[in-house]
Amino acid sequence: MILRSVELESFGRFRGQSVEFRRGMNLVIGPNEAGKSTIAEAVPAVLFGTNRLEKFKPWGRNTCSAVLFFEGQKRTIQIKRNLITDEVELIEKDDLYHVLSQFSGKVPLRGRNAICREYRALLESLLGVADESLFLATYFFGHQPQEWRGDELAQKLRTLVSGTAEADYAEILDSLLDEHFQLTRKNPWGRDKQRDREYDELCRQMVEQGEAEPLESVPVSAGADHLADIKEQIERLSCELENDQQEHEKGLRYIDHIRHQVAETSEKPVSKTVERKQETRNRSGSKPDLACQLAAAGLPHNPPRELPGLLTEAAEVRQEFAELQHPFSVLNDREKKIPEVPWLTLCALVAVLIAGIAVAWWQSFQSLWISLGGGISCAMLLGWGGWHHNVRKKALAESRQERTRLEQKKQAAQKRQAELSERCESLGLPSSAVDLVRLQKLVTAHRELLENFWNQGGLAVTDSDACKDMSDREGEEATKVIDAPSGSAEVKQELAELEVLMADFEVEFKQKQRHLQDLHQQLKELSADRQSCVINTGAALHQRKQELEERISVLRKAINLLVGAVDEFSRSHLTRLNQEASKLFRKMSDGRYPALKLDENMVPSVQVDDRRWVPAEHLSKGTVDAIYVALRIALAKVRDDGRSLPLMLDDPFVHLDQKRLATTLNLIDLAAADGQLILFSHNLELGKRAARERWHVIPLDGDTIDTSSMEGEGHAGQLHLL
Amino acid sequence: MTRLLDSPHIETLAREESVRGVLVRMTLEQAEHADSQELMLLENALQLLLTRFQSMEGDIS
Repeated sequence: MILRSVELESFGRFRGQSVEFRRGMNLVIGPNEAGKSTIAEAVPAVLFGTNRLEKFKPWGRNTCSAVLFFEGQKRTIQIKRNLITDEVELIEKDDLYHVLSQFSGKVPLRGRNAICREYRALLESLLGVADESLFLATYFFGHQPQEWRGDELAQKLRTLVSGTAEADYAEILDSLLDEHFQLTRKNPWGRDKQRDREYDELCRQMVEQGEAEPLESVPVSAGADHLADIKEQIERLSCELENDQQEHEKGLRYIDHIRHQVAETSEKPVSKTVERKQETRNRSGSKPDLACQLAAAGLPHNPPRELPGLLTEAAEVRQEFAELQHPFSVLNDREKKIPEVPWLTLCALVAVLIAGIAVAWWQSFQSLWISLGGGISCAMLLGWGGWHHNVRKKALAESRQERTRLEQKKQAAQKRQAELSERCESLGLPSSAVDLVRLQKLVTAHRELLENFWNQGGLAVTDSDACKDMSDREGEEATKVIDAPSGSAEVKQELAELEVLMADFEVEFKQKQRHLQDLHQQLKELSADRQSCVINTGAALHQRKQELEERISVLRKAINLLVGAVDEFSRSHLTRLNQEASKLFRKMSDGRYPALKLDENMVPSVQVDDRRWVPAEHLSKGTVDAIYVALRIALAKVRDDGRSLPLMLDDPFVHLDQKRLATTLNLIDLAAADGQLILFSHNLELGKRAARERWHVIPLDGDTIDTSSMEGEGHAGQLHLL
Repeated sequence: MTRLLDSPHIETLAREESVRGVLVRMTLEQAEHADSQELMLLENALQLLLTRFQSMEGDIS
């Protein structure tokens, strides 16, 4: 298959022009800017599309298209592409102009849809190549750099054998290894790296969390302290509310009792002295009646005689506790106010001073005075810090002593309270402070009733004595009942006060209940937030770990695959490539260098005698260019025995001397013998040789160029592709 | 087989006489004996490599 012609309908500086080629050697010759590279670049642009449309689109026109005509045995292939729309028309015809295959569709450069796949499959079956980068790496041969530096030649060869125009497999391997070792220190191909990477640190972090505490309890925010505070408040408030509830019920009972008394008093007129006397007699007449009255008043069923003493003692203990509260809070405030020594600031200042001294010594600027001043300042700062530290230490020691003294007093009070509680319990009395306060109020209010009770229960009375006592008491009671109006007023007043107190208590109680509800709500929200945060953090760690593991696995697999592929390529292709290149290079050097070889890193070396191999970098520039030409032609032969497409050389021999150029052209001529080779050059000397060798020459000059579109172009440089 | 390894683009690449072609052929050989997890790993690794070789961009569909 040869390229018969390129029709440049509207392409770069060309408009409606056709360039014909023949089998064998073709020379496109012309000065710089004549459009040689544009013709060369039209071939891959039409075959595969381009992402450099602006370069090829004629200035001031809205069309850009070209047609390639390939000719093979008894068939022709015509491929036309509109580079603006990427519309492609491909027609294959036999020698009788019957259409064998046909394609029409939109095929952009990187398109992967079914139409693109169909086109590329057709292209591969017809021309043997379907990939732009492989096409360029195989058939395009641009002019070489002035000098190959360092690893450039090997890098270029690695890129070409990779099958691409830009990617060097060694660079790809390095980039994969770099990425792998950015994630982990683990090195399956050798000794582990020293420093932990993200994956290793993540694993360590998860292990530490797993060992230290379960994931659910990992402290993830400063809200943990707040949560504990709320729990403590809820506990305390719940206890208070429970006690208040009991108090409330008792208070209600007591108010009912007082109301009952008031109601009875108001129902019975003051004048009914006899009835009142009888009632008083009935009320205080027997011990069971007194017990009932005590119970109704909220007093214990059988109050002991020690009750007032116990209650007084309990009041004293409470007073003692209350008095201890204040010193403790004062002490806490005092401790908080003791200032800390700003060591960090002091150290920073000292470091700055030392740095200043060092700079002064280094710059030899007033170093002695600056050192002296700096040293004194450092000493003063540190001295001030030490003095401040001692003052703080002394204040804290005093505070600790005071606290110890208060703690001792508190312990003594607690001990006394414990003894009191034991005594209360042994007497069947409640021991809580609230109950004792209530009892004290009741005892104060019903002192008389209790005295009666104790007088009756504590005395071993006879009937006569009892009667006497009763008559005496009746008299007293009668006197009191006569004074009922004043007693009733007191009770009413007490009732009113109690009702007010109870109302206040109920308001306070409801407020506490609401506060408790709020606290429960806060606790619920905080717990939910924290749990969510913990779960999210834990889940995020696990997810990231999983992502990293997957990425590391992919990278390892990719690295292993690439290393394996390079080894396999070296085994299966390198020997043949070396043989072909050696054969060509031997001819080019007139037998001076019998062999040429590439090592596994694609570094070329040349055999100079039977045993000695010299790396290409030690040879002259011309020899290195010849090595490159030999390797490129060899690579094209290895890849494409049938030579489906022409080799396109864009002035690759600018650095060869005349003798080596002649030899290389001979070689090129040989290579073109069984195929097609298109050489683009500005060297007019080649024209003479072309005439002598009967090459097909396509001259490019001002007559063949549509100069109407030359403004603003400047794109017709040498083939940049390779 | 998976979507990438089954794609015509991979078939085309596998016919290349280049490191890239050998790479694709080796991957396809390994894929024949791979379980589903290994297959996924192979596909991801190949996609990564081909992207680095600039022979494909993003999705292959």
